[in-house]
Amino acid sequence: MITVEDLSKRFGTTLAVHDISFTIQKGEVVGFLGPNGAGKTTTMRILAGSLGATSGHAIIDDLDVFKHPRRVKRRIGYLPERPPLYGGMTVESFIRFSANIKGASEPNAATRQVLHRVGLQQMSHRLIGHLSKGYRQRVGLAQALVHDPDVLILDEPTSNLDPAQRVEIRDLIQELAEGDRTVILSTHVLSEVEDICERVIIIDRGRLLTTDRIDALARETRRIKLRVARREPELADRLASLSGVVEVHEEPDGRFTLLTEHDIRADIARFACQYDLLELTGQERLEDVYLRLISGSGPDDPETTGTQEPVSSEQQT
Amino acid sequence: MRNILVLSKRELQAYFTSPTGWLFLCAFLVITGFFFASMVGYYAMQTTELGMGSYSQDQFDMGEYLVAPFFANTSVILLMLCPALSMRLFAEDRKQGSLELLLTSPISTFEIVMGKYLGSMGFVLIMLLATAHYPIMLYWLGEPDTGVVFSSYLAMLLLVGSFMAVGLLTSAFTDNQVVALAISFSLLLLFWVISWADNSGSGSMGDVLSYVSMLSHMEQLGKGLVHLKDIVYYLSFIGVALFATQQRVEAFRWR
Repeated sequence: MITVEDLSKRFGTTLAVHDISFTIQKGEVVGFLGPNGAGKTTTMRILAGSLGATSGHAIIDDLDVFKHPRRVKRRIGYLPERPPLYGGMTVESFIRFSANIKGASEPNAATRQVLHRVGLQQMSHRLIGHLSKGYRQRVGLAQALVHDPDVLILDEPTSNLDPAQRVEIRDLIQELAEGDRTVILSTHVLSEVEDICERVIIIDRGRLLTTDRIDALARETRRIKLRVARREPELADRLASLSGVVEVHEEPDGRFTLLTEHDIRADIARFACQYDLLELTGQERLEDVYLRLISGSGPDDPETTGTQEPVSSEQQT
Repeated sequence: MRNILVLSKRELQAYFTSPTGWLFLCAFLVITGFFFASMVGYYAMQTTELGMGSYSQDQFDMGEYLVAPFFANTSVILLMLCPALSMRLFAEDRKQGSLELLLTSPISTFEIVMGKYLGSMGFVLIMLLATAHYPIMLYWLGEPDTGVVFSSYLAMLLLVGSFMAVGLLTSAFTDNQVVALAISFSLLLLFWVISWADNSGSGSMGDVLSYVSMLSHMEQLGKGLVHLKDIVYYLSFIGVALFATQQRVEAFRWR
């Protein structure tokens, strides 16, 4: 469905995206993660056709994004981080305008349907400029959906929303992802990704870190929490001496947190039975995987990171 | 083609969904109305005075002494109003992020530029049509030269066409509407007055400057003389500005 090959984008001297390659199957819902400035928005804009790449290919539905921009754009719905709206238009006239320029086959019918879909019928005659952020986000989604695209690209659709609006938009996206539609979603809220997405693409400083399935990423647990009934003083030392254990923390609530080289929950359980094991959990969630991957990709490329340390004035005098 | 129509319709509606469009239309009619009234008064006074002397009515032609100066004044007003009308065309889209919608829709850059241009031209066309009652009044009062009236309107159309094309181009270079206004007004003023320099310039230099100037191409049209070279000048001026705008918008994808 979507194939990205060795995609790079250079802005002046900075390399925003560096040789990224991944594929996304039809109907997949993929979370696009990475710190601010990692190149998420740049990659999404290249896929959506509002930005050209410096090198590499992006292929959607066997069509090269750069060679057949019109045919590709007809298949893509894109919601940028800031929804692209005309504040002076009413919701309905704006969506009809979007339907027209996006080549929906029946603009009027498509407008009615999409307004119903995102729950905006009541607001259809309101000026977009007068709407709340949550509703504006819905109008942005409606704009991306009106021509019934196969691919939906959403750039931080839930940022800047209050918790209730966030849940509403998240549920809406979950609905939209049902069926054959392919969804790429970038966000900083990792619980959202765990709820909605099957797979994640994590990038940092323009480089691809992983494109694995979430369950595969989190399966390999390296952080184990443990509680036993008989707490003996030498327990912490004995835990630390087990093979595979890197670090042992004793928490104030009496639990132990173990950092291990790989998933050794079974070994730990067997050992902890001597001390009357009460509870053992693999704590690794997407958040831990994410943080580990991000911190693991150190600043190795001088081209993409900041320049040398500034010289302080004290040293000069 | 359909896309151009959809885009230009939206652009034209944008002028009327906010008070600005109505305000500009109002201000334009008030100012031109004031000029028209005072000119008719002056013309009437002079014809009465001169009619008593040895001059005949024919020598004091309505086309030359009333229609032409009126449109010359109108063109100066348009020179000031058009940059204010065109400043938002791309600057607003860039500022509020709606340019992203246009760039990610299955439409070409050419269609975006033409849609915006024709939409804004639609508004200035409405402004020009709203002045039609002035010449109609002249037909009621006397017998103005129809050729002069029509060629003056042709001149106005070509002129605002050039103004709006320059405005569209400058608007694509910034997301600040005030900056777009200042630059396009300065550029237009330069093209307007550049022929004044030919007084000091000698020979061929003066000819070139006068050919480049918008003002010198207005003279003949204002007298009712439609020369192909004047029309070609304005059309190529518009063409170059629109082509440059298209290149500029294309460059948004490659920044």
